[in-house]
Amino acid sequence: MSMIEFRAVSKVYPGRLVIDALSLKIEAGERVVLFGPSGCGKSTVLHLIAGLVAPESGDILINDELVAAGGRNLCELEQRGIGMVFQDLALWPHMTVSENIEFGLRARKVPDKERKKRVRDVVDLVGLGDYLNVKPGELSGGQQQRVALARALALAPRIVLMDEPLSSLDEALNIQIRKEIRRLQGELGFTLVYVTHNRDEAKDLGTRTMHLRNGRIDSAFNMGHSS
Amino acid sequence: MEKRLTLVTAAALLAVIGLLPVLAMVTSSFYISGSFSLKAYQTLLASSQQYALLLGRGVLLSLLTSALATIVGVPLGVLIGKTDLPWRGAFAVLFTLPLLIPPYLIAVAWGTVVGKGGWISQAWPSATSDLLSAAFFGLPGCTGVLFTAFMPIVMLLTITYVGAVNPRWEEAGRLVSRWPNVLRRITLPLIAPAILFAAILVFLLAFGEVGVPTYLRYPVYPVEILTQFAAFYDFGAATAAAIPMLVITLAILTLEYRLLHNSILELKPVVPGAARSQIALGSWRFLLFGIVLGWALLTVLLPLAVLLIQSASPSAYGEALLRASDSIVRSLAFAVIGATALTLLGFCCGYLVHSRAPPLWRSVDALALFLFTLPGTVIGIGLISLWNTPMTNAVYGSPAILILGYLAQYTVLPMRITSATLERVPRSLEHAARLCGASWFMSLWYIVAPLAKRGLIAAWLISYVFCLRDLGISIVVYPPGSDTLPVRILTLMANGAPSLIAALCVILIVVTLLPLGVVSLWLRHGARQS
Repeated sequence: MSMIEFRAVSKVYPGRLVIDALSLKIEAGERVVLFGPSGCGKSTVLHLIAGLVAPESGDILINDELVAAGGRNLCELEQRGIGMVFQDLALWPHMTVSENIEFGLRARKVPDKERKKRVRDVVDLVGLGDYLNVKPGELSGGQQQRVALARALALAPRIVLMDEPLSSLDEALNIQIRKEIRRLQGELGFTLVYVTHNRDEAKDLGTRTMHLRNGRIDSAFNMGHSS
Repeated sequence: MEKRLTLVTAAALLAVIGLLPVLAMVTSSFYISGSFSLKAYQTLLASSQQYALLLGRGVLLSLLTSALATIVGVPLGVLIGKTDLPWRGAFAVLFTLPLLIPPYLIAVAWGTVVGKGGWISQAWPSATSDLLSAAFFGLPGCTGVLFTAFMPIVMLLTITYVGAVNPRWEEAGRLVSRWPNVLRRITLPLIAPAILFAAILVFLLAFGEVGVPTYLRYPVYPVEILTQFAAFYDFGAATAAAIPMLVITLAILTLEYRLLHNSILELKPVVPGAARSQIALGSWRFLLFGIVLGWALLTVLLPLAVLLIQSASPSAYGEALLRASDSIVRSLAFAVIGATALTLLGFCCGYLVHSRAPPLWRSVDALALFLFTLPGTVIGIGLISLWNTPMTNAVYGSPAILILGYLAQYTVLPMRITSATLERVPRSLEHAARLCGASWFMSLWYIVAPLAKRGLIAAWLISYVFCLRDLGISIVVYPPGSDTLPVRILTLMANGAPSLIAALCVILIVVTLLPLGVVSLWLRHGARQS
């Protein structure tokens, strides 16, 4: 049983074929890195998985359930059970760290007591316990990365998507956060799809790396490490 | 699903509220007492010479107004938006004031100075004052007043778009040339489509204006439509007469859309805080400051001062409140309701335009702009054509018809403000909320709306101002006993004392600008605290 499956998926942006009849399978618990030059369609793959855009043709299945087919999304994005860390992190600047993390739990109507516990757990997991009432603008780049991670993990998603989240960090911090991502994935067991154009990140994070070129998988190889 | 449904409903609502009356008007012009007839057009053609003359006058007035507004508005916009001129922000606010009040209030103010029996006639020889008065009550006066009222449109768009030009392009030019040459060869050609769009907008707004030509007794086409409707009760003739204005507006806008629209969309308004190049005026700084200050004193502050002086007696304000307090309350209520409805509809349409959701967004954008540039009297007659039936009399006979008129004509304002505001809210913030499990409405309420708060407040305020200053629609459709303040002032002008008219004008200006001032101060206070 695959966690994510693409069957001949194509996506066109005005005047440009971004994804060209792409087929792929990602198994549960895998750490897959989509790697390739700018404009090769790797972020679009994430957007298709998340449901932020609909494919022109082809089928997308998540956990063996058809979520997009016939040129449209069949399942709303909030119902796909996906966590995502965006390239710009997309932290809501008017909310505190705690409110950012709680938002999804509130949307799912998680009871107050349970919500507080989940926020505390996930904040401890990423090491941000002292910053619950601080707004994202007051945090450092690394701390903001952790908030974005905590927010994505708060709902215990089966799949976590990361769209070049470390591209703005310096080398030392980049390595440190990569290590934390590997640890969290090992502990929580979610399926990770990670997009980057950085070769070191690809090598370090992926159990499998797919190289994309012109909207197709150019090559794919297993990295041979699992944690 | 809810997102799609809401946006499609908003687009359909705009079409029903705005387009349907226009279509009903066109259809009804071919029917008399339920049967097909071209009589209205035959009557129109029989008086074609007179109508052609009125149309020609209107075109001349609009061309002059548009040309003057462009000649003055562009340099002023560049000075305020691009240079280190002192008091730039204050000047931008000051020059925008005439746009926020009904244009005929400016005419009333200048009438007090140069009209017969006005201040100048009391001080200067009668030959000179007669000459001035004759010029004022005619094409020059109309042009001057409408130019003052609509010049801010050119100025504001110039300020917006000079800020949207990539500073690197100008810096590259500055390496080989001086600023005047860079402005002439790089900046202005880049924003030329936006300037031309502003000029067209001024032309169309001046073309549909009724208040100023009515007050200054310069007969133009929209005044004739109003006369056919209000004085002769000839709805058929008014409807047929409205068709040429509809055709002209549509033709000009189609041309604008085909030639300019995409070029304007390529320029994105600048994000606050982003780097932008500024021209140092050097030794010219204070000379230009003096000229701009003098111009502001003459065209903005003097008319306002005249109204204040003319009305400066408790008895004038007492009488004004006695004779128009009901209109004041109604105007305020209609403006608040209208602005709230406009903000809601404008937000949905603005979201649609911002998200460039095919195939609707271009149609919605074009329709809203078309309805804004359509003369208010034409929209008013369209509303009557559609709603004045026994089945819909509950709407036609109530203030709801006014609110529908506001929605039809002014949706473009909150729509464009919303669209520009949403450009500054990264899409990923909303996407993140949806992925966290929030519905579209929830992500709007908790994420988009708080981040776009200032833009939404601005959209409400601008909608409020335009509802409050409206004359074109209100004068045609107001239900019996429900006239608004601008309509009441225009009615009282025929036989009211000048001090009473001036007092009513001041009251209208105060109720228009007071919320604007209060909210600006509140926003500034909030910004300082945060």
